[in-house]
Amino acid sequence: MKVLIVEDNKELASGISDYLNGEKYISELAYDVETAREKLSLFTYDCILLDIMLPDGNGMELLNFIRQENISSGVLIISAKDALDDKVNGLERGADDYVTKPFHLPELHARLRAIYRRKKLDGNNLVVFNEIELNTDTMEALINNSLLDVTRKEFDLLLYFVVNKNRVLSRQAIAAHLWGDYTDNLANFDFVYQHVKNLRKKISAAEGVDYIETVYGLGYKFNTSKT
Amino acid sequence: MKLLNKITLWFIGIVFLVTPVTMVISRNNIKRHLDDAEVARMTAVNDRVAQQMMAGEKPDRYTHGRPIAITTVADPLPEKKVIVTKDNFVAEDLGKKECRITVDSWYKIGDQQYKISSYNYVIKSEEIFRGMLSTVVWKMLLMIFAVSVTARLLSGKIFSPLRRTMKAIHSFDLKQKNKLQLAETSTTEFKELNVFLTKMTDKAMEDYAAVKEFSENASHELQTPLAVIRSKIELLSETNIDSVQAALLGDMQNAIEKLSHINRSLILLTKLENQEFKVTESLKFCRVVKDVIATYEDWITMREIAITTNLDKNIPLNIHPALAEMLISNLLSNAIRHNRDGGQIKMVLTHRELSISNTGIPPQIPTCELFQRFKKSNQSNDSIGLGLAIVKQICEVNGYDVDYNYADGWHKIQVCFYKKQTVNSDALPVAAAVAV
Repeated sequence: MKVLIVEDNKELASGISDYLNGEKYISELAYDVETAREKLSLFTYDCILLDIMLPDGNGMELLNFIRQENISSGVLIISAKDALDDKVNGLERGADDYVTKPFHLPELHARLRAIYRRKKLDGNNLVVFNEIELNTDTMEALINNSLLDVTRKEFDLLLYFVVNKNRVLSRQAIAAHLWGDYTDNLANFDFVYQHVKNLRKKISAAEGVDYIETVYGLGYKFNTSKT
Repeated sequence: MKLLNKITLWFIGIVFLVTPVTMVISRNNIKRHLDDAEVARMTAVNDRVAQQMMAGEKPDRYTHGRPIAITTVADPLPEKKVIVTKDNFVAEDLGKKECRITVDSWYKIGDQQYKISSYNYVIKSEEIFRGMLSTVVWKMLLMIFAVSVTARLLSGKIFSPLRRTMKAIHSFDLKQKNKLQLAETSTTEFKELNVFLTKMTDKAMEDYAAVKEFSENASHELQTPLAVIRSKIELLSETNIDSVQAALLGDMQNAIEKLSHINRSLILLTKLENQEFKVTESLKFCRVVKDVIATYEDWITMREIAITTNLDKNIPLNIHPALAEMLISNLLSNAIRHNRDGGQIKMVLTHRELSISNTGIPPQIPTCELFQRFKKSNQSNDSIGLGLAIVKQICEVNGYDVDYNYADGWHKIQVCFYKKQTVNSDALPVAAAVAV
């Protein structure tokens, strides 16, 4: 996947780029509207990460430009403003999704993947890894072709792990993914442990490989090297 | 008291005070003029009589029927040729007080010296006073009437700029970007008032905009560094680290989490204060409550809390959906967090109010203080102490009442959707202020 990161903060941009490069994506950086416009005119990207506040203009202008030029890339807005108006405005102007700073990198990646699946893989709703098969439309999980009886949250959790495989997922990142805005009110993350435990139990019961391992002090990791 | 009535009363009071003084002055004046006129007349008569005597005529024409006495005197003439005496005495036959003026004139006619005396009874000062009194009473009544009526008729005209100004101030809102527009006036005081008000409101708007911009920018500017730190920690935790380093990173993650939560809560509070949540349509509150409960089901089950709900259906409220969600979510998460494992939560929703009760340890500080920012009953707790402040602010923005009570081991928070008896209190002082 080829991604254009439009973000004026160089450290943040490089952080995102590092993470995406780890996924074998090709990422390019643009620190301002002008550079972004130039790159968009010359190259094609699968996805664009777009900051709203840029030194020489507003990310919304770029959204208009993308629509005018009929660029088919998926657009994920990253903004410091979690103002509802911005969110609605952005989505109305053709953005596909919206995350607010400070976000978790795995979250950003998961959303990017979701956009990619919808836009570029022609709505391919299957995420497959070895014996695990996830259908993002019907919310069904198959292990070795047999249906796994999981709750909505557990399905989301498994999808999050598979998309961010071999990454350390902190309890906070998992909570933010599963509960969204409500995470603020969930003071401790014991319930993350509970959900991960249940999911691992169910996978093991279906004779799947227990890929999920605990990373001491941090969280969990979907380790593909396990067999 | 209305300004107009005050001025009228003062005016009438001053008239009341001044009138007796003017009465005394005018009585004295009238009396003196009357007396002087009488004296002058009698002196003239005396002179006339003396002239006639000098001409050798008999002064019958004047002395006849008049109170004139002509006597010869032997003593040398006094220095003043005319002496006026005024007598006040009680006439014995009538039993009434009388006032008499006597004019004595001395003449030398031939070798003979004469004294000619005329006298007359004049009007007494009491009589003048009595005559004036009824006039003054009428005058006062007319004056009060005229002043009151004209004041009322004129006030509409004179005070109209003030009234317009007050109306303009009342409809002035700091949060809207319209400057205060005041009507032109020719009255100096109102002109000064308008200039002062315009200056003051302009300054207030500038300051408000500056403060608002600062707090918005400060919070937003913090988001990017937070995002940088968070992403770097996440990248760092991907690298080859040992368990000690992992634990350190975990603590940092927690701190970042808390920091971003505080920052987001403060942004929200600022937005609430700025009334940035415009309500467009009513929403079904009961549905929001159910959704939020569903979200927290995991946590409730994990803490083995028994939740009983009694939710009325079809409760439309005019509240921003995001705020409704936040309100219930904050209340419910509080009820879970400050509960004991295996405790209970009761939720009741009616058309009038929403109440959430939960079991838990008694509060360490007065419950009303818990609505203040960063106030916590238990300081070592994980929470940051902004949840109830947000609840309070949401209630204030929407005109709800919120109460926190603790009794018999139950914490109870009640949100009343309709304020008690205070609905009209806002409108009253305004009406009183506008009516000058």
